[in-house]
Formats: sequence, structure tokens, C-alpha cells
Amino acid sequence: MWRISMSTSCRACLGFRSYGKTKGTWSFPAVRTCSVPALPALPITAAQALELWRRHFEERGVTEPEQSSQYIIAHLLGAKTIETLEQDKLREILSQEKMEQVWQLCTKRLSRMPVQYVIEEWDFRDLTLKMRPPVFIPRPETEELVELVLTDLQKKLGPDISADSQQTCLEVGCGSGAVSLSLLKTLSQLRALALDQSQDAVDLTRENAWRLGLSDRLEIYHVDVMKEPETVLSLCGSVTALISNPPYLFSEDMMSLEPEISRFEDPAALDGGADGMNVIKQILTLAPHMLSNHGRVYLEVDPRHPPLIREWAEVNVQALQFVETRHDMSGRPRFCILQKEESNEDHEVDQD
Amino acid sequence: MAHRRLLTLFPRGKEWITLFHKPQHVINQTVHELVSPFSGKSKRTLHTGAPLMVKLLSVDELFARRSLQEHLSKIEKEYSECLKVVSGSVAEDPCSEDDMRAKRTKVSLLSPLIQSMRELDIKQKEMAETEMLLKDEDKDLRELAELEKENCLQDIQDLREKILDLLIPEEEADLSDLVLEVTAGVGGQEAMLFNAEVFDMYHGFAQHQGWSFDILEHMTSDIGGLRHASASISGPQSYKKMKFEAGVHRVQRVPKTEKQGRMHTSTMTVAVLPQPTEISFTINSKDLRIETKRASGAGGQHVNTTDSAVRIVHLPTGVVAECQQERSQLKNKEKAMKALRAKLYSMKLEEATSKRYNQRKIQIGTRGRSEKIRTYNFAQDRVTDHRIGLTVHDIKSFLLGENLLEEMNCSLQEFSNQETLMELLEESSQEG
Repeated sequence: MWRISMSTSCRACLGFRSYGKTKGTWSFPAVRTCSVPALPALPITAAQALELWRRHFEERGVTEPEQSSQYIIAHLLGAKTIETLEQDKLREILSQEKMEQVWQLCTKRLSRMPVQYVIEEWDFRDLTLKMRPPVFIPRPETEELVELVLTDLQKKLGPDISADSQQTCLEVGCGSGAVSLSLLKTLSQLRALALDQSQDAVDLTRENAWRLGLSDRLEIYHVDVMKEPETVLSLCGSVTALISNPPYLFSEDMMSLEPEISRFEDPAALDGGADGMNVIKQILTLAPHMLSNHGRVYLEVDPRHPPLIREWAEVNVQALQFVETRHDMSGRPRFCILQKEESNEDHEVDQD
Repeated sequence: MAHRRLLTLFPRGKEWITLFHKPQHVINQTVHELVSPFSGKSKRTLHTGAPLMVKLLSVDELFARRSLQEHLSKIEKEYSECLKVVSGSVAEDPCSEDDMRAKRTKVSLLSPLIQSMRELDIKQKEMAETEMLLKDEDKDLRELAELEKENCLQDIQDLREKILDLLIPEEEADLSDLVLEVTAGVGGQEAMLFNAEVFDMYHGFAQHQGWSFDILEHMTSDIGGLRHASASISGPQSYKKMKFEAGVHRVQRVPKTEKQGRMHTSTMTVAVLPQPTEISFTINSKDLRIETKRASGAGGQHVNTTDSAVRIVHLPTGVVAECQQERSQLKNKEKAMKALRAKLYSMKLEEATSKRYNQRKIQIGTRGRSEKIRTYNFAQDRVTDHRIGLTVHDIKSFLLGENLLEEMNCSLQEFSNQETLMELLEESSQEG
């Protein structure tokens, strides 16, 4: 399912790293070709290394050359961004050890490995999360999805979040755990269920939950909503909110992705089928059986999706009411909210 | 206490000119606010003209002034009138509900001051009695009285200081947190290097005071200087202290960048903007344009970018704030928003202030930013504040933002308080 596209020129790999536990070994070429700049013979400062690698990334057509060089070197010098690194540190000479680390990580980036995988961590809202291929790297738009859910849940819970309002939310396709963990971090009374079809994702979510001390309120299951809907239904009782950033790319768009994505991220977390709606439709179909009454579905989707989703849900899932479409920071229609509305008939059926 | 402590800081020289010869910067419009000492909503900065040398009066000197005594008795009269109405002992003239509420508020606001004034009265009577005993024939009794007198004097001094403190109105913004902005001025790279040092100094000051210091914007230059930066500062008294730091700071030294050893003069500007609360100041989201690196292209799952910088433009005013301190785009947006809110809020305050002051043809409000307030002379290893003519030595320690800056800052506060008090008394006596 997951292919590593490796150009032949990169075959002269010196080192391999293995990832994953159950699905065999994922190997990544730590590329060392003739085009990797030699370790400088004379000592250089961090600022010089920064410039050297920026130029090199640029020449080799690596995207975001300046940011890549900055994030990697800032990370190795103990800061998150170059802006928060003390100015003096940039003017200091790099130790031999640090220089080797810079070369090692920047060489990985040269193979188009995303910066987040290179430094093995990234920030999502106020959390710092472990990042590991091939688990999907959370995008900034998803921070806004969480904002949306939080605002809604906080409104629902009211000013006094008492023990009786024990709420549970469900996340389909948790990846690194970013969404569920952010919600748990902010709402101290909330419980969460997180599902993913990938064992790597389940493992990474578990690891991140443990690191952040949020494991006790999070249940994580390795289950595929497409193949095992019954299992999903049996796991999830009545949840207040169902949140998902499902794979929503149209299959045809999978061909035009940058190498950072196509070579390293799990396509199962991206490819939503011909119209990008395969998993979305499945989630909407299952949602009424998992949500409590007035419970809501929050989806991150492709900007082309909202009208399609509204139309499809009206026809196919009567228990769900389309509430609204929300836009992301760049003004694209990005989030859909639907709500379960129990009709009287449903009640009668339930009572039977 | 503060009044007393400060006296020791200043030599009593001939060149000191008393505050009262200062031109009549009378704040007519805010008279009523100032007379009732607790409702002061006006924006106040330290009034400064040409190198102004002022003398700090002692507590005794202040209390010896007739204007102060008159002011205090006026307050007392006002208080007892209000109290009469509130307690319902005057029945002849029933006042409206609003009026009643205003009077009730006044009573509760004035009561700590009245309380202290009464205590002072009692102490002063005790003092008079003690003085009688000092003339007694019994030697033991005289010694006892001597002891009693010392205690009394101390209590009187403390109470007087308390009363003076209570007379100084709090500014609305004094209670808020703030955003500090530093911007390099004239002098190119050298000004940016100095700007970085001053920014670090306030970082140190915040730590020294136990305030939080969260960098919002940070735009560096090539050689380690700082073009512009802002930080959100919060903690007790943070605005109240930091407001005295606003203005143009000047450095005189031989820059690192100078090859021929010539002395340069460069500047940087400090702005201190009160940080409004969500409730007191709102921005319409429709007025904002948010710019990110993800604005072009498809966004979402289609792209994986790491550049999380956020730039926010407030369309009606063109005011811009940006942040790239964080790896999280949302965090950057929050920080940029914070900086933007402070900028807009301070513009609003300034507008209101200048409107008020323009009517009286006095320009106090705008001075804060444009005026040279302090010089850092490295050759003489001194820092001079031009507003109060105070010089301290040891620039290196001063730039740590610890005790020396604290001392300078306290002096400014003392002078400002006295200035306010004098204004208050002038207003009061003019009212009749």
C-alpha cells in the first residue's frame, strides 16, 4: 500500500533506519550522494552552517530551503525556531559533534524528508508531539478544527464543568494524536476515543499521550472504519462529538503531491477516493449510531466538499442535519459541522 | 516611606527648581476626576519640558502647605455630606437614585483616606499631650514622654505618607498588563545593536520583578542587532512601572562597527502599550486580513509546509503585526493578535488623550514617544535620565535591568506622584 519512491540517483545510501513495528520494516534512504556538501575542514559558526545549507537546499530544489535549514539547526541548538534562539549562539563555532549532527539531519532533508520527521517532533497548538514516518503530519488547518470543537464543547459544558457532565468525544483517524490530545489537554473532564487503521499511528498516538500525561482519559483502538464498521459501533457508545480529519484528497490529486508527502506520508491518511469522500461518507453513515442526541460531527475537508457533503447527507443520512461550513485562516471553506437530530420515529424504533 | 527614601537619593543642590515654578499645565477638563481622587481615568505621563530639574519635597514640607490642608478638609467635607445623604439623615432633599448611587460609591472610595486622616488627627492630639508631659517635673515621666514622642512622630510620618499615596489617583491603565515595543532609531546597525541591549535589559527587568515576558515580534539584523521587537509583559504593577520607560533612549559610544574609533550617537525608541482585556476592547474580525504561507495553493492535506509565520493587517488603519516565534501557526496568530490589539488600543487611547489635550493646547500625550528621555554615555560610564536630571553610574549593571534600573524607575515614579499631587492641589485651590 505504501510505496517508497526513490530516485535511482539516491540509491547510494549509506544508512537505513527502520520504522514501524508490526507491518515490517520501513526503510528510508539517508541519502549521501556526491551532491552532499563535504564536512568543512575548518570550524564554522552556526550562522555559516545555516547559510551553507540554505544555499544547498535551494540549489537542490528542496522546498522551504531557508526554513528547513533554520528549523534543523535551531532544533540542534535547543530552540524551536531561529527567532527564539539566542543571537549569540549563532555566532558561536559549532563543535565537531554538533556539526556532524547538522550534516546528518540536513542530509535527510536533502532526500525531501519533511522537517518534522527529520527532527522527529513538531508543535500542534500548545503541544509538542513526536513525529515519525509514515504517520500523517498534522497541518495548521487542523489546529483550527480543534479550536472550533473546543469553542463548541466549552459552550456546551457551560462555565462550571462539573463531574456530571462527563463527556466523551471520538476521533476517527487519529494519526499522531494531535486532535484528541489537544482536546484532552484543554478540557480536563473530557474523555476521548481515538481510532486509526494504521498500527504506526496507534503506537504514535499512545506514545504522545503517555509523554503528555493524558493516557488515562484516552482509549486508542487499531481499527479500520471502512472494513470493520461493526467493531467501531461496538466500541463507541454515545459520544458528544465525533471529530475527524479523514483522508480527503481526490485520488487524481495524489499524483501531484510534493515528494515530502508522496514519499514519506501514509497514503491511506490522504487518499479519499475518486471524489475524496470515501471515508467521509462512511463516517457520516455511522455517526447517527454513535452520537448522543444533538451530538455533532466536525470534519476537516477539501474546499470543494462542503456543498457535496450537505447534499449527500440530506439524501442519505436523515438523522443528521447539516449545521454549517466554516472557513480556515486563508478563507477556504474547510470545516463542516453536522448535528444529530432524533426524529420521533427514531424514538419509537429505539423503544422497540 | 517612599517619599522619605527618595530624599536620600538626591543631593539638595542650588540648581533644583521647585515644581511650582513650572508653567501652568493645568488639566481643566479632568478637574472633577482629579478632585475625587479615585476616579482618575485620564492618561498621565510624566510632564517633562526642557531638562527639567525638580526638587522632591519631603512629606513634612508637603503637609506644611496650606493647599494640601485645604484640599484635605475639602475632601472631609465632601465625605461627610455624602455620608449624611447616604445614611438618610437629611430628609429635606430626596435625591435621585443615580445621585444616591454616586454618593454611596464616593463614600466607600473615600473612606480609607478619611480613616487615615482621622488616625492622623488622633496621633497629633496624642503628640500634643506628650509634649505637655515633656515639661513635667518628674524625670522618669519626661523620659517616658520622650520615648512616646518618637513613636508618635514615626506614626505620624507613616500616616502622612499613606494619605499622600491615597491622594494619587490610579490610572485606568495602571492595572493592566502591557506590550513593550522597541524600535531602532537613527544610527543604522549601531542603533540596532543598542536596541537589542535595551530589549535584553527589559527582559532582565521583568525577571527581576517576577513578571512574565513573552516575546511576540523579534526582527533581527545581520550582525546581531534588533530592528524591532515586542513582548507581552504581565505581573503586578507592570504597566505602572514600565510606563516611565517609554520614550527615546540615546546611546553615546564607539560602536563595535566603527573602524576609526569615533564616538557615535544613536537612538532607539521604547513604546509601552497597555494591554486591553477582551472585554474592554474588541476588534471586528472582518477588519482583519490574515496572511500565512499557506494562503496560496490548496492548503490542507495537499501541502506540508513548516513556515508558520503569521502576519495580520488591520484594514481600516493599516496597522500590521506579525509573529514567527512559534512552530505552531495558531500560536503565532495568537501572539500577532496580542501585539495588534495593544497597538490599536494604544492608538485609541492616544487619540482620546490628544483630543483632550489639544483643546488646552498642551501636548503631553504625544511626548511619551518622541522625546529623548535618557542617555547612556559609555565613555563616562553613566546613565542620565533627562526628565528628572538623575545620573547613575555603571552602565553594565544598569543594562542588567536589576537594582540600578529599579532605582531609576522608582525615582521617576516618586516625581510623577508629586507632580500629580501638585496638580491636584492647584486644581483644588482654583476651584475655591
